[in-house]
Amino acid sequence: MGASLFGIPGIASGKSLGLLLDILIVLIVIYYIRSGKKLFIRRVSGLDAIEEAVGRAAEMGKPVVCSFGIAWNGFDYWTMAGLAIMAHVARLSAKTGTRLIVPTGGSTASMIVRPVAEEIVRTALMLEGREDEFNPNDLPFMSDQQYAYTGGYIGILQRTKPAAVIMTGSHASEAMNIAETSNAIGAITITSGSYISNVAALACASDYILIGEEAPAASAYLSDDPGLRSSIRCQDIFKWISIALLVLGLITFNAGSDFFLRLLSS
Amino acid sequence: MSAFFRSKEIQLAILILSFLAVFIPYFLNIPSDHPLNVFSTKLILIAGITNAFTLALAVYSQFRRGLSFVRRRARGYIFKIYMMTAIILMLIFWTMGETTGPYHWVMYAIITPLSSVNYSILVFYMASTGARAFRARNAKALLLLITGFVVLLYQAPLTGAIFPAINPLGLYFGNTFAMAAGRMFLISVTVGAIVFGVRVLMGKETQVLGFGSEKE
Repeated sequence: MGASLFGIPGIASGKSLGLLLDILIVLIVIYYIRSGKKLFIRRVSGLDAIEEAVGRAAEMGKPVVCSFGIAWNGFDYWTMAGLAIMAHVARLSAKTGTRLIVPTGGSTASMIVRPVAEEIVRTALMLEGREDEFNPNDLPFMSDQQYAYTGGYIGILQRTKPAAVIMTGSHASEAMNIAETSNAIGAITITSGSYISNVAALACASDYILIGEEAPAASAYLSDDPGLRSSIRCQDIFKWISIALLVLGLITFNAGSDFFLRLLSS
Repeated sequence: MSAFFRSKEIQLAILILSFLAVFIPYFLNIPSDHPLNVFSTKLILIAGITNAFTLALAVYSQFRRGLSFVRRRARGYIFKIYMMTAIILMLIFWTMGETTGPYHWVMYAIITPLSSVNYSILVFYMASTGARAFRARNAKALLLLITGFVVLLYQAPLTGAIFPAINPLGLYFGNTFAMAAGRMFLISVTVGAIVFGVRVLMGKETQVLGFGSEKE
């Protein structure tokens, strides 16, 4: 269908637009990283909720449980955003002297991410001069099996009765079990819905939710890195491109042209 | 020599070459028997095998931690003994074959049913969440409640049979609002993932290479 839309010799059929868009993303990211421009990102309300939750835990003398997800694909987009938010939680916990528990596991690939999480928690404590308080047992590895991890996570919640549970990164179907248990023990529950099918249920089960790209946006807000902030700008630009293509496609298709249909076929 | 391979520059160079080896054959019309395509396929296979080695690393680290628990008689050390025994037994069973014998039995008679039970418990969690959430405090919540109710009824086959009028309504919600939101989600995730990849290739995401954050 989209065999040679642009007639670019050598490009695999239907992939011309994909290649062009990929190149465009690369150029935009390079531009923002080189220019060092600090792009504006509004503060995500979930971040205020995180600060409130850690503060509450410090007042109550109870721990905070924070996880970076099950990291199906190791260091993927969501996991990196989860780690950035977890770093923020670790810094707040270290500052207030609150115990932080980070349940890890859920997938084979999560084993690669775990040492980085450990390093993040250790660094946060070190920055506050509390490195001796670092306890590797507070980052237990449950299992590489999703539901064994869930059972372990729930067990931790029921035994330690934390004041706040913050679930970032990519949590799949186990997210509901954890969020609901957290609710049952009376902890402030903050989640980030990285799967569209999870969002609605998590919105009901949580006190605060970072919906979709709010989690990466929150991590970009916390960071001064122009590269990280450029990803949010890129998403905005591409959303506008998508909307433009949709509207133009709708108009031209109704006018009898299948140009955009061929353009977007792969 | 190990310091050479552990340097950031070398790891980045390997990363960029690996990326190009997979990226170029995908977009360009390269015959399947072309050396670049053959290399690309082999590279993906090597990555898969390397990834599998993390499992061996995890077993080793679990044993180290478990033994330390047992030596110190720390709280819950009995569970560590149980875990290590289970790992050893599964390794022995595995040598007898994966599709028959005790390994197969443990997987299909214990692990899979237990996982299924855990998954099905989700229904109760959903029900309790629903009970709390289904309170219409304002007009928006009422709208959400009605929509959720229609979609729930549409998903139940018996309701569809009794009230056939609910089917087109449920389909409409699924094919319009839900699909639009889902695709917006997909666009964000895909673009974000590509940008993340570019940052990795530019050496801005050093954590992926195991170097920790440069800022800290």
